[in-house]
Amino acid sequence: MTHANSELLTPERVRLAAFTPARLGRRGLDESEVRSFCEWVSDGLRQLLNDNSMLQAEVLRLRGRLLDGEGKHGVQPEDAHVQAVHVLSMAQQTADRYVADAQEYSRELAGDARMRRDEIVREAKVRASMILEQAHTSASEAAGAVRATRDPVPAAERQELQAEIAYLRTFSDVCRTHLRAYMESLTRSIEEWERAERNGALTARDSALHSSQHVLPRTAGTRPGKGVNRAGRVVPAACSESGGGSARGGRLSGPSRSSRPSSRLIPWPPQSRPTPSSLVT
Amino acid sequence: VDERRLKESFARAAAYGDEVALFFYSHLFLSHPEAREMFPVSMAVQRDKLLNALGRIVAEVSSHDTLVPFLQGLGRDHRKFGTLAEHYPAVGASLLATLAHFNGTDWSEDVARDWTEAYAVVAQVMTEAATEDETRNPPSWQATVVGHERRTIDIAVLRVAPDAPLRYAPGQSVAVECEARPRLWRYYSMANAPRHDGTIEFHVRVIDGGPVSSALARSVRVGSRLRLGAPAGTLGLDMNSRRNVVLAAGSTGLAPLKAIIDQAAGLGDPPRMHLVFGARTAVDLYDLADLEKMTARWPWLTVTPAVSAEPEYRGETGTVADVIGRRVPITDQDAYICGSSAMVTATVNRLRSLGMPQARIYVEDFGWSES
Repeated sequence: MTHANSELLTPERVRLAAFTPARLGRRGLDESEVRSFCEWVSDGLRQLLNDNSMLQAEVLRLRGRLLDGEGKHGVQPEDAHVQAVHVLSMAQQTADRYVADAQEYSRELAGDARMRRDEIVREAKVRASMILEQAHTSASEAAGAVRATRDPVPAAERQELQAEIAYLRTFSDVCRTHLRAYMESLTRSIEEWERAERNGALTARDSALHSSQHVLPRTAGTRPGKGVNRAGRVVPAACSESGGGSARGGRLSGPSRSSRPSSRLIPWPPQSRPTPSSLVT
Repeated sequence: VDERRLKESFARAAAYGDEVALFFYSHLFLSHPEAREMFPVSMAVQRDKLLNALGRIVAEVSSHDTLVPFLQGLGRDHRKFGTLAEHYPAVGASLLATLAHFNGTDWSEDVARDWTEAYAVVAQVMTEAATEDETRNPPSWQATVVGHERRTIDIAVLRVAPDAPLRYAPGQSVAVECEARPRLWRYYSMANAPRHDGTIEFHVRVIDGGPVSSALARSVRVGSRLRLGAPAGTLGLDMNSRRNVVLAAGSTGLAPLKAIIDQAAGLGDPPRMHLVFGARTAVDLYDLADLEKMTARWPWLTVTPAVSAEPEYRGETGTVADVIGRRVPITDQDAYICGSSAMVTATVNRLRSLGMPQARIYVEDFGWSES
């Protein structure tokens, strides 16, 4: 439904407004229609308010004329004032009715939408429980069918499947073992690191006291307790094998032995499918 | 002032109902057009408020103990509309003209003098309260929305940061106005005890056709500006009571009760509190996640959700009153209730029938601010 802006806003038009339902797949009413309707109502109200204030101005002008004595022969000023009050009251009542009608209309619209929403939810619930029931039925039917066929899987395939299950089981065992070992070595490394940090601080103070003796190589960016590998990357001292804050040579990069991948660690992701026997050594 | 004469002349006018208020406002706007912009487009609600307030003032004209606080509240409350002391004479003149018009030939110099004197007192009490309030509070608080969550299709939780600190007691409410609905004020309860950062939460439930609630829930965004009136309402934790507490919340009636729980958490020795939080369906229990966090943190708090229109719900089903009857043994507690008026009435009746004295039942009461 559309409204030409020129159409007069009346309570009946607002009350009888009808909208097309929203496009397929969306609930409610056509949004652009509702919007344009609201605009039309708002334009109408604005017009009405303008009229109202014009009337008010006119009333004031007339009252002024009366008080100035121009209308001495007609009505008395007091009566004129009362008449003006009545004119304004009528205008106010009209405005009140427009607002009340608009509110009533929006109330009906919202109430309607609420009812439809409840219906949709109710239907959806019924349908959901139907679907669930169907799923139950077909699942138990399938289970019954499986039980009916005695050995549907050929021997070769069965063996292959069992091998795969065994592989996966072993794989997860190994993963867990390695993860646990790795976590433990990490905790140890952190403890060593902390110790090294403390010792390093002491060593640095010592070296400052005995400046003639070079304990640590002076490399830019080096701090006690940290080592610098060849690429200039700072690595925690605890990661070096000597562990004590020494920063010499190229052995410093990489984690300590305990956390270095051992020959037992399976590659991740597995490059090629290993046989179960190659996993556990 | 001849009290009987005053009441009779008012009764003669009041018999015309809405016409009286209609005449009054038209008269006021004709003589002071600038006053029109202080009011909303539709004046229907406004007229009701005027008639109620006038009726109450005339009825209580000789009982100063209740009338004076009512007028003081009214005077303070009018600050948020931009009412100034110089507006009062204009209102008085229009009021007298209105009463004279509807009293017709029964109007006399004496009655006019009675009303002039009575109105002068009313205006004085109101303006004095407003002036006194000026030293402490702004006419209204500008605030920014800093959080806006649509919890359900009908309920939004707003977090609001007032520009100037807003002091209130947990359980109180403020009138809220948003830019989309100028000059329409609706009361919302603060849902938290005052915080260090000054932010306030409001729980807004959309009323079908309600202009303010729908704007607050749907069009207001983070960054939107609101105006808040002065805190009002008398619901609040009784600090002198050592009794345990039953809290009954219907939907967003939860807000002031949540503020009270929040307040109790700040006490050294909080009472045991049992909150029954009711809604139509499980989805409408819009604040359960937060309530669960609160029960996990505060061992003295128990929360029982109740759902009234969803029989397959796995928890407690029925109204808040039903669930209290079933799950909360009434021994020697205080009760705080907030929700729809039907819910409040049903719950009060149930608690009374379970033996709770009326004096220990506290309900949300907007008092003067709703009239």
